[in-house]
Amino acid sequence: MSADGVTLEASNIHKAFGNNHVLKGASLSVARGEVVTLIGASGSGKSTFLRCLNLLEMPQQGELAIGTHRFAFGKGLRAPVDAELAQLRENVGMVFQHFNLFPHMSVLGNLTEGPVQVKGMAQAEARALARDLLAKVGLADKADAYPSRLSGGQKQRVAIARSLAMKPDVMLFDEPTSALDPELVGEVLAVIRSLAAEGMTMVLVTHEMAFAADVSTRVGFMNDGVMAEVGSAEEIIRRPRSERLKAFLSRFHEAK
Amino acid sequence: MYAWDFAALKPYWPLIWQGLMITVFYTVITVVTGLVIGLAVGILRTNSPRWVSVPLRLYIEVFRCTPLLVQLVWVYYALPVLIGVDMSPAMACFVALSLYAGSFYAEIFRGGIEAVDKGQWEAGRAIGMRRGRIFRRIVLPQAIQVMIPSFINQTIMQLKNTSLVSVVAVGDLLYQGTVITAASYRPLEVYTTIAVLYFVVLFPLTLVADQVELRMGAHR
Repeated sequence: MSADGVTLEASNIHKAFGNNHVLKGASLSVARGEVVTLIGASGSGKSTFLRCLNLLEMPQQGELAIGTHRFAFGKGLRAPVDAELAQLRENVGMVFQHFNLFPHMSVLGNLTEGPVQVKGMAQAEARALARDLLAKVGLADKADAYPSRLSGGQKQRVAIARSLAMKPDVMLFDEPTSALDPELVGEVLAVIRSLAAEGMTMVLVTHEMAFAADVSTRVGFMNDGVMAEVGSAEEIIRRPRSERLKAFLSRFHEAK
Repeated sequence: MYAWDFAALKPYWPLIWQGLMITVFYTVITVVTGLVIGLAVGILRTNSPRWVSVPLRLYIEVFRCTPLLVQLVWVYYALPVLIGVDMSPAMACFVALSLYAGSFYAEIFRGGIEAVDKGQWEAGRAIGMRRGRIFRRIVLPQAIQVMIPSFINQTIMQLKNTSLVSVVAVGDLLYQGTVITAASYRPLEVYTTIAVLYFVVLFPLTLVADQVELRMGAHR
């Protein structure tokens, strides 16, 4: 951790899939305890950028520093090996749009898998931790259920608890409510809100503008592969000044 | 009207029993080696550079697309000429049946592994798991669920395919059948008995398969 309290620093991230240049030098710096929401049109690169933060996508150029983990990408630079990536990801949790729970394990098994297999925690300790986390996301009674028996909102809360079980320094959320029925969105947002209140450092990609405005310490607006504007929720969502940001937000207001 | 006389087979029961044991023995050992080959080849094919995956593909297609009978004869008669190593009929059968089974199992494993959602790999990576562990703990258990029906099917075929070892004079059930037919002049009784024995061994296997599939699929 650097002295200025910055826990995550991504600079000049480039990523192309074939000829499709998705990220063209996107940067973001996040201080400990911050909640940063990334907004932007689909195709603006926000999900790809988020996936570069735990290196599920490998940038072709740029630098990434999270806690003590430092990576530089570019021609001639050594790509990080599996072990280095695994170490980074122990400290950086991620919640996916489609939950990606392990269907062959119970809810409890989903939560204990990381602590036991990756951290070498004792089963009993991992189970106690898992039960605490399930209570926290309001699913204490579902410990022995299998994922197929849960609603979408419950699945996503389990997925959040699974990430928390690794005790990460940073949590990444990739459109965590986009795959949910509207009536189930609230329960997931409530869990994320409570994490924010506890001071968890988070980066979220979301289309829930009201939620973003409410929960974020800062909001980043991505446009055409770069972080076009970063500022407080007030500056970015409630009083946008640039034309393209106004145009993007107006589409949401019409939809409401 | 043909007069069935199964009692005529009575003196030959020890021979039939011996043949059945040989059949089961070859099935069990070649299913095991076939699975080992199939798992290794199946994994390598899903995740390897071309210089590895192309020769493996060639192996699979050669063994899938030629008759097992030809493979057995070829391994027994032609391979010794090529590599200068004599093989007993038993060894030749073991090698050919294992490679044959391996080629089919490899495709079943590959299909099963590729059927697991990419998000499962990502979820494993996101909690700091390394590749080998994700494969063992997350992907393979799910792949096996998908594979069970094809796996059972292939294993049933494998038991029936062992009947071909009789061409190189390995004394399996069918081979003993031909011997007994020659001695007893009772082909209908002999082959009927053999069919019943194959059925009695394989049918319970299909029932077990149904049960396993039900239990493993319970959480889907």
